[in-house]
Amino acid sequence: MTFSQLMSSMRFAIAMLSIVGLASIIGTVLQQNQPYESYMIEFGQFWFDFFEILNLFNVYQASWFLLILLFLVSSTSLCVYRNTPKIVRDFRRYQENIKEKSLRAYKYSFEVPFSDFKKNDLITFLSANQFKIKEKIINEKDVLIVAKKGDYQKLGYIFTHLAIIIISIGGLMDGNLIFKFQESVGSKEIELLDKPISEISKKSWLETSNFSYRANMLLVEGESQGVGVIPVKDGYMIQDLPFTVSLKDFNIEHYSSGQPKSFESDLIIKSKTNGETINKKISVNKPLNYKGVTIYQSDFQDGGTKLNLALHDFYSGSKPISMRAEIFKQNELIIENQKMNFEFEDFRLFNILDLEENGDIKPTNVGPNYRFKIRNESGQASEYESYQYPMLLEGKYFFMSGMRGSPQEDFKFLRIPADADRTLEGYMIFKDLISNPKEAKRAINTISKENASALNQNQKEIARGFNAIWQSFISGGYNNIALSIDQNVPTTNQEQVANTYIKIIHLLANNIILNYLENNPDSTLFNFDDIGIFTQDSLNAFSDSFFYGSNYWVELKDFEQVQASGLQLTKSPGQFWVYLGSILLVIGIFCMLYIQEARLWIMKKSGSKKLILAFASNRDHIDFERFVLKTRKDIQSLFSN
Amino acid sequence: MATKIYNFIFTALLLILGIIALTNFHSYMDQYEVGILIASVLGFSFFGIKWQRFKHFFITSFVLAFIAIFLYQGNLNQVETNFFLKYFLSSQSSIMWMSALFPLALLIYWFYLFVKQEFYGNFATFLVWAASVFATTGLLVRWFESYLISIDVGHIPISNLYEVFVLFCLISALIYLYYEEKLNTKKLGPFVMIIINVAVGFLLWYTFTKGADQIQPLVPALQSYWMKIHVPANFIGYGAFAIAAMVSVAYLLADNKFWRQYIPAKEILDDMTYKLIAIGFIFFTIATILGAVWAAEAWGGYWSWDPKETWALIVWLNYAAWLHLRLIKGLRGDILAWWSIAGLIITTFCFLGVNLFLSGLHSYGEL
Repeated sequence: MTFSQLMSSMRFAIAMLSIVGLASIIGTVLQQNQPYESYMIEFGQFWFDFFEILNLFNVYQASWFLLILLFLVSSTSLCVYRNTPKIVRDFRRYQENIKEKSLRAYKYSFEVPFSDFKKNDLITFLSANQFKIKEKIINEKDVLIVAKKGDYQKLGYIFTHLAIIIISIGGLMDGNLIFKFQESVGSKEIELLDKPISEISKKSWLETSNFSYRANMLLVEGESQGVGVIPVKDGYMIQDLPFTVSLKDFNIEHYSSGQPKSFESDLIIKSKTNGETINKKISVNKPLNYKGVTIYQSDFQDGGTKLNLALHDFYSGSKPISMRAEIFKQNELIIENQKMNFEFEDFRLFNILDLEENGDIKPTNVGPNYRFKIRNESGQASEYESYQYPMLLEGKYFFMSGMRGSPQEDFKFLRIPADADRTLEGYMIFKDLISNPKEAKRAINTISKENASALNQNQKEIARGFNAIWQSFISGGYNNIALSIDQNVPTTNQEQVANTYIKIIHLLANNIILNYLENNPDSTLFNFDDIGIFTQDSLNAFSDSFFYGSNYWVELKDFEQVQASGLQLTKSPGQFWVYLGSILLVIGIFCMLYIQEARLWIMKKSGSKKLILAFASNRDHIDFERFVLKTRKDIQSLFSN
Repeated sequence: MATKIYNFIFTALLLILGIIALTNFHSYMDQYEVGILIASVLGFSFFGIKWQRFKHFFITSFVLAFIAIFLYQGNLNQVETNFFLKYFLSSQSSIMWMSALFPLALLIYWFYLFVKQEFYGNFATFLVWAASVFATTGLLVRWFESYLISIDVGHIPISNLYEVFVLFCLISALIYLYYEEKLNTKKLGPFVMIIINVAVGFLLWYTFTKGADQIQPLVPALQSYWMKIHVPANFIGYGAFAIAAMVSVAYLLADNKFWRQYIPAKEILDDMTYKLIAIGFIFFTIATILGAVWAAEAWGGYWSWDPKETWALIVWLNYAAWLHLRLIKGLRGDILAWWSIAGLIITTFCFLGVNLFLSGLHSYGEL
């Protein structure tokens, strides 16, 4: 068997189909085109290097993968090349030179007795059954009628295989072969660092004449850009575009449940060559084609929303610090010689959470949230996710802020109870009051007096005890109290003592609030049916705040949203060929699977009263047998009377 | 003559339905959707004319759906108070009926296989038809219910894993019923019903543990007329491949003396597998191409090597290999049967596994 015979053999085809399938799996199991650092973290240095050599992070652009595809296409081409002449010949050929002996050797070979050879009826019957017919007189006495149908079935073979070649070529046109070549000879270079566009070397620029590309563009409202970014391996290339795109407006619509319904970018596109401008709205599923480049809405993100914030110190009565910030920007704050770096990372206007309301769990829009990191002087950062408005949990409203030490962790949420006006103010007054030693002293005095008379004990002793508990709580929350109980109280009594301590703290705190209410009778902040619940939630929040990792609660006062639209710009000259190939493929498969190819020879030997019938097909299965038997029966009945 | 009149009435009914839909809801459709509507009227008419029982099935499903729509009176809360909606015709109840009838059909089919009394065979077939009616009614009513939630939420119910599982059961059942009638292979029912019931089992688990039966609005990427053709075409492929695999199981069992007395001859099974894979292959090819064209419109490229796309390619390559393998003389028979069973595993992974284990652009049916 020669090499070309091997390449065009059926077994080789099956092997190639299987190998392409198996190779394709790799890229679905291993997530493709991720930042290289994340692969490094996931697999470790050894496997990372190994995988990178094999190009497993971009399998479908890897040379070895393209080589396998090349084999598949070559094998297919060779098949087409070898079989087409035969098929074309078969298309015209009737095989009228066949010998009687061969006819009798066919699997479907029959004899049909006749008395009167009604040739015209036979011909009419055959043509009525879509047979093409050729007649031949052998040795000037015997008649041979050759009939065939379903030639297009064989054409299906050419169509399908040609389709694969055309689709592959189309795909190749849209691949990055040219760039790969340019990169290998060093005329182009992948940019690995984040830089302003103006500082990027010309070697990392692709000209507008670039044959095909798929570039991304992130456009902030009100800005315009004339280049796209193409992610390549662990870096990127800059794609120059024949036009500039400006984002006039970005719009998200939401369903009443809050899920996004549509995103739309209102674009102005200005040609770089003739200055022509067009104004057009694009949205998902409704792209715009301009100068051979298709512009798609792909995603959106924040474009640098401006935030107006207030920082509340958890433990002192000092006034909140106001701060203006912008998403993607950093804010440095120096408080009491402590340097803190705020890095604002994201702002989302709509947030859908599954919340319980009246017993049903349903998706609810809880309003804006904002994410930021606070980095201390040593460079360590905690990440925060806070919501602007309180959300309803277990029938009460809480302000929520999640904290985590590293991206691998889940956010742990600090819940601050909203006051009766659903603002933060109530809690902030509360924490100021309880942090105020004067207030504490007064409350301890009052409560200890009440208790002393009730318990008949020394008031001063009780007050000292209360004070110790209170100070312990104020300096470290319930955790502090638990620690001291653990150290000082025998195990059997711990629970009882703890409950007593908690009750005392609650009593004191409640007294502080009630006292505040007496002095501020106009305040509506604590208009609760049961102020005790608010006190409890506030004490919990205060206690939890020691684990928050920051002394400050960052409150979002208001914001000015700036959005950015993610666009994709595609030039895809191969698309036409891929579609053409696809149409050909469908037609071809249809022909191959649903057209019954059949040949039929009818031989009348002079002197014989029996016709020889022989049927053949390149696809011999039940349907063909059924067809043969039916046709034979029809022919028999044609001659039976 | 009676058949002709029936055909005429059926076609006329479809035509009237189509015209009513077109005149009433024209403002909600784009030109492609109008095209799809016309093609559906023509397609279902053709199908009905070719296949007598399809007409019964189609008319029954639609009549039940219209009764449900009538009972709703434009108010979704009717499902709580109206007896018929609550227990029979609301989409969730309908689909529950489907989920009850398919297991019953499986049981009766197996009983029939061993008892060999035609009555039970016919009864099982009837149950499959009934389950299909409930599946269709369920989907039609769900379509209506989604519009009752809100006009902008309304969409064809083939957009998430729950809905396509119902679609899978329905299409597989119809494909099987068609071949059962044409090729007279009732004895394959016990095998084919297994795979459909596995899907029903998943559907029930998914409904009860994840509350998947809730109607959710469409994400922007899915708001396209393409969904109406891409998804059904894909599921004809998946359904046909799944049934082919079950026929292949029967094929392999036919080597066994015990089983041989109960199942059809191997040649018939081989032929049926071929027919199923052929129809599956052509629809899967079309579906994948339509998917690519849609992707070009929604994601900015006809091919992104997204896990779902890649697995669709793997499925396609697998069955292309199967069709080639069938032409090698010495390799037919058991190898082909095993290959088609392996094909089901690959298909299942493409259909479900990708959503379960891999992430990508195509993550509409996440668990």
